[in-house]
Amino acid sequence: MSVSTRERISHVVRRLSMGAHPDLVAALESPDAAIARALDLSAAAPVLPSMVPPSSYDEQQPIDIVPTIAWWLGQMQTSPRLIEERLVWFWHDHFATSLAKVRVPYLLHQQHATVRALATGSFADLLHAMAKDPAMLGYLDGVTNQVENVNENFGRECLELFTMGIGGGYTQDDVVAASRACSGWVVNVPGRRFSARLTELGAGPWGSIFIPFRHDDGEKELLGQRGAFDLDGALDVILEHPSTARYVAGKLYRELVGLEADDQTAKRLGDDFARDWSIMGLVESTVAEPAFTSNAAVRSKVRTPVEKLVGIAHAGALPGEGSTAAVDLRVVAGRSRAGDQVVGVGEALRTIGFIPFVPPNVSGFPEGTLLLGPHQLVHTFDLLQVLPTAPAVGPGGVEDVDALMARFGVFDITKSTRRVLERERDPGRQFTLAAMSPEFAVT
Amino acid sequence: MGLGTASAVGAAYGLSVWGPAEPSAATTRHGSNVASARGKTLVIVELGGGNDGLNTVVPLNDNRYHDLRPTLGVTEPILLDTKLSGDEVGLHPSLPKLAARFDRGNVAIVEGLGYDDADLSHFGSFAIWWSALGGAGGGAGGAGWLGAYLDGTVGFDDPLAAIGIGPGPSPALRGRESFATTIANDNGLQPRLPSWLQVSSFEAGESLAQEWSDFTPSQVDESTLLGQVQRAIGLTVKARTNLAKVLSSAAESDTTRPTTAGVQAQRARYQDASVAYSLVLAAELVQSSAKPRIVYVNGVGDFDTHEGQSARHPALLQQLDDGIQAFFDALPAAQHDDVVLMTVSEFGRRPAENGSGTDHGTANVHLIVGGDGDGGVRGGRYGEPPSLTSLDRAGNLVHSADFRRLYATGLQWLGVDQTSPILGDDFEAFPVFH
Repeated sequence: MSVSTRERISHVVRRLSMGAHPDLVAALESPDAAIARALDLSAAAPVLPSMVPPSSYDEQQPIDIVPTIAWWLGQMQTSPRLIEERLVWFWHDHFATSLAKVRVPYLLHQQHATVRALATGSFADLLHAMAKDPAMLGYLDGVTNQVENVNENFGRECLELFTMGIGGGYTQDDVVAASRACSGWVVNVPGRRFSARLTELGAGPWGSIFIPFRHDDGEKELLGQRGAFDLDGALDVILEHPSTARYVAGKLYRELVGLEADDQTAKRLGDDFARDWSIMGLVESTVAEPAFTSNAAVRSKVRTPVEKLVGIAHAGALPGEGSTAAVDLRVVAGRSRAGDQVVGVGEALRTIGFIPFVPPNVSGFPEGTLLLGPHQLVHTFDLLQVLPTAPAVGPGGVEDVDALMARFGVFDITKSTRRVLERERDPGRQFTLAAMSPEFAVT
Repeated sequence: MGLGTASAVGAAYGLSVWGPAEPSAATTRHGSNVASARGKTLVIVELGGGNDGLNTVVPLNDNRYHDLRPTLGVTEPILLDTKLSGDEVGLHPSLPKLAARFDRGNVAIVEGLGYDDADLSHFGSFAIWWSALGGAGGGAGGAGWLGAYLDGTVGFDDPLAAIGIGPGPSPALRGRESFATTIANDNGLQPRLPSWLQVSSFEAGESLAQEWSDFTPSQVDESTLLGQVQRAIGLTVKARTNLAKVLSSAAESDTTRPTTAGVQAQRARYQDASVAYSLVLAAELVQSSAKPRIVYVNGVGDFDTHEGQSARHPALLQQLDDGIQAFFDALPAAQHDDVVLMTVSEFGRRPAENGSGTDHGTANVHLIVGGDGDGGVRGGRYGEPPSLTSLDRAGNLVHSADFRRLYATGLQWLGVDQTSPILGDDFEAFPVFH
C-alpha cells in the first residue's frame, strides 16, 4: 500500500491528538513538522471548570457527568495541546474507572482533573495518584480492603492492567501481598458515618485518607522483596520491576504506532522510560521509531466513536473556517440532556457503548475488531446528529471527493469509496457517506 | 490492537464440515439453506465478571461451606426434588423459577468445570473460555470457539446464523472465515439519522443503506484493516436486511408477520436492558425464519462481586431467574424442544469470603436449561462437585472436569460429534440430552 505525504502527515496528527483538524493538517509540510506541532505544549493548559461537590452520596445523578464530558470533548476538538488530549484519553482508558459503579460524577470529575494534571508528567506520580484516587478506591474496592479482610480487586488489576501486564512475572502470592499493602485507604463521603471524624483526621469531603488501624502492617513478600510495605512502598517495588516500564511502553507504542512493539523494542523503550518515568520522554522516543510513520502504521487502528465524533465536528466546517465553525462540542454535547433523558450526542455514544467515564470494564474501552460489530457500525450514523444543521457546502455545491475527504483528514481514497461519493449528488448525503466510509472508520 | 493475519490458520478449517457425518445439501458449508443442521438453537448466557457458583448451587451437607462463608453463606437455599438433586444441593433463594424448572426435570446442573493452572485474571481467563484453549495460548486476535464452529459450517453465507445480543461483539463468536451479527436491541440495526439529512428512513428513496454497502468492493483485501472494515460494512447491511424481515420492531418489518403473543407479553414486562430483555429478543429470533443456530447474550450484569455481594448477587440471580423464565414463556410450546440455554462465566469465586464479597476463583458450576417438552434436557446433576476441603494454594476450588466438556455438550446439541477442530481435542459431552 502506498501512502501519500498528506495522508502520512494526517496520520501523525491523528495519532498524536484526538482529531486531525483539516486546517491544521493543511498547514503542515512534513511528518516531522507534524510531530513537532503535535508535541508542542507551549500553549497554556486548559482549566477544567470546577464542579460543586455534592453534600451526600445520593445528591448527584450519573447524568450530572454530562458537563464534564462536554467540556472534555470540546478540548479534544479545540485544544492546541494536541498530545495532551491523546494522553488524557490514553490514561483514562489505562486507569479505567467507571461511573456505573462509582456513581458519583464529582469523583470522576476530580479524577479527570488529576489525570489531566499528570498526563504529560511522570508515570510514577500518576500511578501513585491513581492508587489513592477516591474514584479508583471506590471502583476497585480499595475502600473495603482492610487488614483481615483483604480485597484483591485493586491489587490484581494494578499488577495486571496498570503496571506489569498479564504474564509480566507476578504470581497470586504477589497479588495478595500487593493487596495487603494497599489496605487501609478510605474515602470521606459527606453525610456518611465517620465523615466528621475523617474530616478531623485531615480528609476533606470526598478526599481519600489512610487509616492505620485498617491497614495490614505485617511483613509482605512482593516480587521477591521483603518489607512491611504500604501502598506507596508496594508501588515503588512494582515500578522497580522491569516488566512495568516495558508493559506501559508497549501499550503506549500500540496506542501511538498502532502496531505491536517487538520484545526488543518494548525492552529498549521501557528501560529508558524507567530512568525517570517521563511520559513525554517516552512519547518522543516512540514517535522517533521509524515504525511510527511507516506505511504499516498508517490506518492500522480502528477509529473510536469518540474520535469519529471529533472528526465529524471538524469536518462540518469548510476549510479555513476554524475548528468550531460548524459545531462547538462543549455546547452541543452539554445540551444532550432533556429532562432525565440523554439525547443527541450523549444518546449516540450511549447507543454505541462508548461513553467517556463509563468504560465497560476495568480493561478499558473496546478496540480493534470489537468496534466493528454491526451494531456499532450502523450506529455510527447516529454520530452525525452532532451537526445541528446540514454541513456547509462550498460554492460548487456537491464537493469534489478529494476536497470532501480532506475535511475528514483522509487523503488516500480507494476506488470503491471514490465511486460511491462521486455518484451521490445530494451534499448532505455525500457528507454522511464520507463519514461512514471505510477510510474514516480506520485511523 | 492489530487484527493479525486472519486467515492463516483458518484456511485449514475453511473447508471442513463437522456437522453430521453425511452432510446433506442443506447443511454443507455453501448450501443455500443455512438453518441449523437439526433446526436447533443454542442460547448462551455469559455471566461476566465471574459468577459465584457456590452461592448459586449451594452445597447442603458440607459444614465447611458456612465456615468459609460466615456472612455470605446461603442459609435457606431452595430445596430441590431429591430424586434429581441427590439431596446434596439447593438453589439460591433468588432462583425460585429455575428451581421449579429443575424439579420438572429440565435443568442440568454441571459441577466442577475448570481447567489446569487456573488464570485468576478476568481477561486471561475469558481469553481461555472464549477461545476454548484450556490454559495455554488463549489470546486476543484468535478465533472464538463458536467462531471456529461457524468457520466450518456457515462461513459468510448467513450473517444471522449466529447472533450476539449485547453491547459489543463477543470474542467467542469471532471467526476467521465467518461473521456473526451483534445487536443490542430489537430495532433491527436502525440508525438515528440527523434531521437535516431529510431521509425518512434508512431505506427510503435511493437507499442510503444500499449506498453504504457499495463501499464494499467485489474483491476485498482482507489482509488490511481497511479491507476488513469494507467487508464488515457489506455484511452489516446484509444482516440488517435479513433482520428487517424477521424482527417485528425493525423499521421495515413485514407487518404481515406479527410477533407471537408470548414475545409481546414478555417484552411488555422487560423493557429495560436486562438479561430478560435480551432473552426475550433471543426468543423472538429463535421462532423467526432466521432460525439462528447460536444466540450469545453478554453484558447482562457485573458478577464481579468483590464487595457488597449480599445485596448484589441475589439481585443478579433474580434477574437471571426472570430472564430464563421470560425466554421460555416467550416461546410457543412447540418450540421448547428446539432450544437449549447454557451459562458460561470466566471463573467462579473464592470459597472463603473477604468480609463483604468474594475474590476471583476457579472451578464453577454451570446450567444447561431445556424447555418444557420431552426432547431437550434430561434434568439432574452432572460432573463432580469440587471439594471444599482440598483447596488449591490460593484457597480456590480444584476442578473435576474440563470446561470444554460443557462446550462439547452445547456443540452436540448443534449436531457436532467431533469437537477436536473446534476445541482442540475431542471432549466428551455430558449426557444431558434425551
